[in-house]
Amino acid sequence: MAKENLPSFSKGMFSGVILDELVFPYPKMKEEEAEDLKMMQDSFRKFAEDHIDGQKIDEEEKYPDGLIDQLKELGFMGLSVPEEYDGFGLSATAYTKMFELFGGINPSVAITLGAHQSIGYKGLVLYGNEEQKKKYLPKLASGEMLAAYCLTEPGAGSDAAGIKTKAVRDEENGVYILNGSKIWITNGGVADFFTVFAKEEMPDKDGKMTEKISAFLVTRDMGGITSGKEEHKLGLKGSSTTEVFFEDVKVPFENLLGERGKGFKIAMNVLNNGRLGLAGGSIGALKVVMKEAIAHIRQRKQFRKTLSEFEMIKEKVAQMTVDLFATESMIYLTSGLVDRGDVDYSLESAMCKIRATEVTWHGVNECLQMVGGLGFMKEYPYQRYLRDGRVNMIFEGTNEILRMFTALAGMHERGQYLRKIGTALKGPIKGFGVLTDYATQWLKGRVSTERIRDVHPELAAAKVQFETWAKNMHFSAERALIHVGKNIIYREMIQERLANAAIDLYAMIATISRVDTMITEKGAENCSVEIKLCNTFADQAWRRVRRNLLMVDSNNDREMREIADFIVDQEKYPFETI
Amino acid sequence: MNIAVCVKQTPDTETRVKLTDDQKAVNESDINFILNPYDEFAVEEALKLRETNGGEVTIISLGPDRVKSAIRSALAMGADKAIHLVADKNPSDPNAVAGALAEELKTGNYDLILLGKQAIDDDHAQLPSLLGEKLGLPAVTVVVKLDINGDQVTAEREIDGAHEIVTCNLPAVIGAQRGLNEPRYASLKGIMKAKKIPIEEKPAALAADQLEIESFNYPPEKSAGKIVGDSADAVPELLRLLHEEAKVI
Repeated sequence: MAKENLPSFSKGMFSGVILDELVFPYPKMKEEEAEDLKMMQDSFRKFAEDHIDGQKIDEEEKYPDGLIDQLKELGFMGLSVPEEYDGFGLSATAYTKMFELFGGINPSVAITLGAHQSIGYKGLVLYGNEEQKKKYLPKLASGEMLAAYCLTEPGAGSDAAGIKTKAVRDEENGVYILNGSKIWITNGGVADFFTVFAKEEMPDKDGKMTEKISAFLVTRDMGGITSGKEEHKLGLKGSSTTEVFFEDVKVPFENLLGERGKGFKIAMNVLNNGRLGLAGGSIGALKVVMKEAIAHIRQRKQFRKTLSEFEMIKEKVAQMTVDLFATESMIYLTSGLVDRGDVDYSLESAMCKIRATEVTWHGVNECLQMVGGLGFMKEYPYQRYLRDGRVNMIFEGTNEILRMFTALAGMHERGQYLRKIGTALKGPIKGFGVLTDYATQWLKGRVSTERIRDVHPELAAAKVQFETWAKNMHFSAERALIHVGKNIIYREMIQERLANAAIDLYAMIATISRVDTMITEKGAENCSVEIKLCNTFADQAWRRVRRNLLMVDSNNDREMREIADFIVDQEKYPFETI
Repeated sequence: MNIAVCVKQTPDTETRVKLTDDQKAVNESDINFILNPYDEFAVEEALKLRETNGGEVTIISLGPDRVKSAIRSALAMGADKAIHLVADKNPSDPNAVAGALAEELKTGNYDLILLGKQAIDDDHAQLPSLLGEKLGLPAVTVVVKLDINGDQVTAEREIDGAHEIVTCNLPAVIGAQRGLNEPRYASLKGIMKAKKIPIEEKPAALAADQLEIESFNYPPEKSAGKIVGDSADAVPELLRLLHEEAKVI
């Protein structure tokens, strides 16, 4: 796995440090890969035009015969397998762009392909040893084997550490005996290769036996694996989603993935990595739906005007464009960070997933609204894309869990630091160095601004807004840590606001960097629309950041908790009008 | 069988055409270029013939540097070799293009020359016949079915309301029409393999254009439609309008 030497941009931001060298200039794909990518996209687009009928797949709840086999033959199963194992070794940027295309053309197909390679075999790519990679990756790249990622269980969804699936070491036979069941497994009914997370008893560092999570590479031919019936879902109906049962499955020791007991970390890192594909797939869907809706509002007339002439329609079109532009900027800034290979991008990919899935959900909903009654009809694609996109806010980490992750992981370092200072304050002389260091940092924050490099004058105001509100976010996070202390982990509404502020700030800097880099290349006179998008987004974003930060300190959180507790206690909405 | 396929790079069919300020050319700045769809049929046919008869498929394209991506697309489908006849632009005169292509084709000792019946950008549809003339070879175009048996070519071509069956001997020039085959999709393996194939560059031996483009014009805006009525009563009025105003019947 690539070394992560440099700290995360966003974690730095929470700590009051802006690592602008990580986000400027905006990353650019190598020309050669860009050419390959275009050809791959063209190939898929042509294939899809002839063979992928989204409406039919949705109605029949299955793919036409042979569709998956054709995708295998064309090579779309091996995008993230390195070339030395017969894959195509796409960079994270090209991979995400491919998923943007898949997600736009058909979210079901995108999720079948994504479950296979974004998460199904990603653990093997990231943590597998040479023998494991040689044995499985070529088959996974060709699609001879289809992969699934098996973490979630009936009793363990967001709380993945609570899984019950057990792996018991049988030293005599050199195998783990695997027992348990996993639910809602994408590709569950069709996969032959499963990355399974299970608990095993192992000695901790004091020699005491404890249960820890390990990761395993399990294949269907090991026996004892059965798939449940296909689930009927709200959307993504072509994709297979089933329960997968493991009954006395004998998994050879050599199929342990990574180190014993390190499974949770593997599970989380695979998801960190997979989230960008999902984010890309989401915005791809919105772009396609926008195109449909725009065609409609250009020609549909009411009151002798096309819908596109009405201001509330304009507002919708503009808003989804601004949001999409900013989200896209975040996603490909982050994929560029992944491709550098030396940066911690876990927070950024989580933020991209949150923002992309929500911008898409709202955007598709607004497109449906713009076309009026048509949007409610089954023969039009709007409702299908709305249904297909809904689960994106739930799986690969619910957006709520990811907000908690963003805020808490963002504040973690600062929290550690403050805790050290807590100790330092108890024994002031001994901790003198730390305190001075802290005080300097604090004063520096107060007196001068943490400034980023100069950008084009057209974007200067947006840059100042970013600097101002990034600094304020840092202070809000710090105040919250000081006031709430370690109880911060229960104050989810505070976490949510800080996470939302961080997402907006990251989107701001990503957009500024993208447009600034573009201006350098093409000249400001050729970027007038992009400049407008950037400045409009920045203006909207800092107002949201301000509101979120104000509400960290002044809010109705107590009342909200009390109301919720009361209602839950009543088990229903209990009020009547007088 | 030694087969040459002449291909052209054209704008994507979904392009919204913008003209240059002097209206003498299409503004290329925002255009997504593709391999001319009719040429795809030609490439596919060449690959199928190679599968049954063995041999080699050489892609030849004339134009500026950007046409290399169309060449790569054809290579990604499975062609073996490629020649880029470098010119600073795509000439607007098909006769000039045919002359330069013929110069190159003469040197290659090809048994068969395949190309699309026309390019979807300027739609001249002249190249198959011009090449036949310049090379002194039989040329059959708008071909929807092609059988080659030894030296004997049997080609079925579309004509108004019927199909015409033409026979000739190799070497020959064949212009492909939609329906000749289903072009394969470039596989990712094919795309990666195509990257490693060198594209041979030669200057295009272009004669001066004899055809000059005066100007391009956008099609006139459609005027609004008219609804005459919604029952059988409206038919006489509709007929009258179609006859007297629209003058289509």
